[in-house]
Amino acid sequence: MGFIRDKRNSSSSTTTSPCADLRAAYHNCFNRWYSEKFLKGHWDKEECVAEWDKYRDCLSKHLEDKNLSRFLEAEGVKRIPAPISK
Amino acid sequence: MICFLPVSFRDVRQWIILLAFMVLVNCNASVKHKTPNCTMVKAYSQEHTYKHPWERVTSASWRKFADPENKRTLSHILEVDTLNHNLDSKSGKLYTTRAITIHAPGPWFLRKIVGQDICHCVESTVVDAQTRSMQLATKNISLQKYVEVEERIRYDPHPENPNEWTICRQETSIRIKPLSTLASMAEKIEQKCVEKFQQNSAKGREVMERMCKYLEAESSSRGISGRL
Repeated sequence: MGFIRDKRNSSSSTTTSPCADLRAAYHNCFNRWYSEKFLKGHWDKEECVAEWDKYRDCLSKHLEDKNLSRFLEAEGVKRIPAPISK
Repeated sequence: MICFLPVSFRDVRQWIILLAFMVLVNCNASVKHKTPNCTMVKAYSQEHTYKHPWERVTSASWRKFADPENKRTLSHILEVDTLNHNLDSKSGKLYTTRAITIHAPGPWFLRKIVGQDICHCVESTVVDAQTRSMQLATKNISLQKYVEVEERIRYDPHPENPNEWTICRQETSIRIKPLSTLASMAEKIEQKCVEKFQQNSAKGREVMERMCKYLEAESSSRGISGRL
């Protein structure tokens, strides 16, 4: 029947796990910046740049899914589909 | 015998898994059925009021997938990676693209048939700090040739109490690629998926409420004035 014999490892580990620490560092920084700066009107300056650069470098090495990596390359993309009307 | 299954039947299996687990996690569980199924496009809309200010709710939205406690509730979310971001420093708009990897568990035989148990989605977000609005759109990029699911969410200050409450509006549309032989079968399966959809939505709301309470407690213990 092929069900059991074909028991290959359907592990759910994903391609970006090697970047987990760098991701956590960036997201922590981002969350702090979002709450403490961006929401309070201090949006003139981008922060967490060093964290982002390291994390992004790691992603570009480990992101295997081509559909995903094209988003990584589209620098500065501004895309949002048609909004829900208010 | 799996090898004798018609291709279309396999497609339906993929579709079940995708639908049931891709549907993300927001707002409340009251699903309103908006459009009839005749075109094979389904849309659901939901609304939920958070009794927390917009700033807190949108902070919670960013954090909800990462918090260890939430990870237990949202166990189908495996990874959330930021792929891109762009800050418009003049207008106060923040654009972000994130990849969300979803684990689609299910009976072991389904996994064998489909041959994959994870699904990638891309979430695009824009936050406008001046007008206080946050909009998210999430689409599957895996299995697109069978089905497209798009979830759109926006968080706005609640018109009745704009400084204290937040309204969340969510629309989910499901477009099944034209495979007419699937239509009648798909109809039946969809009813089952709606149940899963409601369960995941309820989980998402639970997580958001918990994050908001956490942020509220954190800000009051720090003695920070302001809305967070």
